[in-house]
Amino acid sequence: MAIQPEPEARRSVIHDIGYRKYDGIRLGEAYTWRTLYELGVKHCYGIGRAARFKVLPMMLLTIMMIPALVIVGVQVIVSDVAAQVLPYSRYSIIMQLIISVFVAVQAPALISRDLRYRLLTLYLARPLRLDTYVYARLAALATGLFILTGLPLLVLYVGTLLSGSSPASETTDLLGALGGAAILSIVLASIAAVVSATTTRRGFAIAAIITTLIVSYTVVATIQGIADERGNTEVAGYAGMFSPFTLVDGIQVSLFNTEASTPAGPPGTVGGLIFIAFAILIVLVCVGVLLWRYRKVAGR
Amino acid sequence: MTNATIIGLTVRNGLGARRTVVLVILPVILIGLAITVRALVGVDQDATIGVMVGLGLTVVLPLVALIAGTSVLAAEVDDGSIVYLLAKPISRHTIVVSKYVVALTATILFTTLPIMLAGAIMTGELRGAIGYAAGALLGAFAYSAIFLLLSAVTRHAVAAGLLYVLIWEGLLGGLLTGVRWLSVGAWSTSLADSIVTDDILTKPVSPAYAIIATLVVTVGAVWLAGDRLRSFRLTGEE
Amino acid sequence: MSEIVLDQVSRWYSNVVAVNDVSMTIGPGVTGLLGPNGAGKSTLIAMMSGFLAPSSGTVTLDGIPVWRHEQLYRQIGLVPEREAAYDNLTGGQFVVANAELHALADPIAAAMTAIATVEMQPAQDRKISTYSKGMKQRIKMASALVHDPAVLLLDEPFNGMDPRQRLHLIELLRRMGNEGRTVMFSSHILEEVEQVASHIEVMVAGRHAASGDFGAIRRLMTDRPNRYLIRTDDDRRLASQLIGDASCRGVIMRSDDGLDVEVVDFGRFAVVLPQLAHSAEIRLLEVKPTDESLESVFAYLVSA
Repeated sequence: MAIQPEPEARRSVIHDIGYRKYDGIRLGEAYTWRTLYELGVKHCYGIGRAARFKVLPMMLLTIMMIPALVIVGVQVIVSDVAAQVLPYSRYSIIMQLIISVFVAVQAPALISRDLRYRLLTLYLARPLRLDTYVYARLAALATGLFILTGLPLLVLYVGTLLSGSSPASETTDLLGALGGAAILSIVLASIAAVVSATTTRRGFAIAAIITTLIVSYTVVATIQGIADERGNTEVAGYAGMFSPFTLVDGIQVSLFNTEASTPAGPPGTVGGLIFIAFAILIVLVCVGVLLWRYRKVAGR
Repeated sequence: MTNATIIGLTVRNGLGARRTVVLVILPVILIGLAITVRALVGVDQDATIGVMVGLGLTVVLPLVALIAGTSVLAAEVDDGSIVYLLAKPISRHTIVVSKYVVALTATILFTTLPIMLAGAIMTGELRGAIGYAAGALLGAFAYSAIFLLLSAVTRHAVAAGLLYVLIWEGLLGGLLTGVRWLSVGAWSTSLADSIVTDDILTKPVSPAYAIIATLVVTVGAVWLAGDRLRSFRLTGEE
Repeated sequence: MSEIVLDQVSRWYSNVVAVNDVSMTIGPGVTGLLGPNGAGKSTLIAMMSGFLAPSSGTVTLDGIPVWRHEQLYRQIGLVPEREAAYDNLTGGQFVVANAELHALADPIAAAMTAIATVEMQPAQDRKISTYSKGMKQRIKMASALVHDPAVLLLDEPFNGMDPRQRLHLIELLRRMGNEGRTVMFSSHILEEVEQVASHIEVMVAGRHAASGDFGAIRRLMTDRPNRYLIRTDDDRRLASQLIGDASCRGVIMRSDDGLDVEVVDFGRFAVVLPQLAHSAEIRLLEVKPTDESLESVFAYLVSA
């Protein structure tokens, strides 16, 4: 290697190395919202993340589908216009443990993760309002849940049609149950999102959500059981308000006239209205707290 | 076997405001339910079992123990601050036992005492209160030890603990009778039943077995946790 | 006098080898562990501090294996890479707690001494959550010094420090080294190691690439020419003398006086230069190696 002669001192110059401003079309906030939403839904099932994040949600989805598939299989083999073995509206309550675990694990994945790694400032450095971000996350979680709760119902529907029952009544039943599943998804998503947003530790959020859902259901079921035995149907009915699963079941009973899956549905039309109002209240309060919490974190 | 400084550090760091809120809410709900049901139906055996066993021993007890048992160790393991305790000439077993004492005390405070109160409310007699409290005490010892061990062994202690409680204790415990021998829930229920009543309730296992099994599990889990900490690996980044 | 001895130490994770057959002895004074990211420095320090077991080989402190040996922590102070996490304690409380955990006779006095050493007295009553990164690093150092250890291990201690804090830490480490402690720190930044360490160990891709004083390492690489800057009172005449000798490969006259000499045989050159100057009656004003900085050593090792 030869020696280079010592170079002369260079003049200092600032080069315009090409930071270019973007002058093209900008797609606006709706596009951002939609992308964030789609990404959120995919992340609910681990799509777009490493393999180990797919295991649990996919497993839960499979378990969720098994009873529906079994029932359809039986119906097809027996090929009888049998009365529906399981009313659509009962499916979610029976599978509530699976649904609870799903929301308990995926809500923190969508919400606590961004908080823990302080990604919020990155998101908000884009033309994305804080409220939009929150709604996108919430909607994604609710949609993920809706897929989980709605898909088995579709399978059941197809099975019943195949075994030859009347399409008209089946379709109305299905639509009602899908409506119920939608309401359940929104309520669960709101509650789980609020709990996740209060902590950056994923483990603690998971424990807190599951605790809330299981404890509320156990308490309600106990009270309902006892009250029903004593013939106190009013108390049994109103007690159903205090757990998301029983609350939504009650709403389905009063709105769509389905069979109650709990010892007692909401008493009368008044009860039904109160149930609906309570559900709306829960969602509004949760969303409000969620927005407040995020505003605090983002420092606005 | 314990170190006062570690106990002090654990209490200050592990049990923050948020955790304490959750730990308080659960027993409050239990007591609230007990009062409500008692008001509804008076003293009733089925109702009592539903509340005390169904909610108290099977749900509240393990969940509180899970939160307490993981909050004394899991966070420090997760962010690596456990290294400040480990880079000291202190026996790992001392560290673990000190943390166990904190977790156990918190669990007893938020389960055994409230359960005793709820038991008194529901059964209206001292025997009921003491019986359920004894069962809860047994469960507190065993659960706290198990969840402490999980914290020392895996970074996903909470999820693992939840799976254990929901699937092993909850689902399978209800379905398969053979599981009873290895289920903390069954042990605590058995002890409670044996004191509270003389006859009706099925005692899954004998109370003597329950006590011995709890002792074995507690001592074993705590010792294992200490042993695992001796081989703790500090890797630079996540 | 405390010595850490690594004897044919390897560490692998299934089929990734993080540390590959490393043998070294770390003695009193300041040793710098140098290497690019991913070279295995953190792994090595973890093994030396007893927080990772070697897959093969032994890591011993004065003959005792460090793994699973809590009592050795009496002599070892560790400053880990991650930030101190006891955020709701004050700096003072944190150091005192560490002192208590060491079962020192007077924990508070020891803590105060350690805090004075790192010059954190004004901030010791504030919570650690309010500290800047450099302050957190210093309080971590205090907690590692509180029991007056013979061995001090620091993992990337200069990370995130501003120049003033860095100078302070450099001075502190030098002082520790001069007191006879065995100080070992890791870094991937050459200037830091150059300014503090009297002895360096170079790790590249898990292998122990070189050890010693960096000038000495440089001289060991005789197949690459050394370069010297020589100022004299008669450059041109010396240049013509030097080029006539086999030890020099090239001589350039610098524009602002002096000679750039490329030397292929340092041993011979060291003998020949004064002889030539003397016989030609040329006065040598300055003889300076121009590329003996760590930079060139490092670059050479890394690119090899």
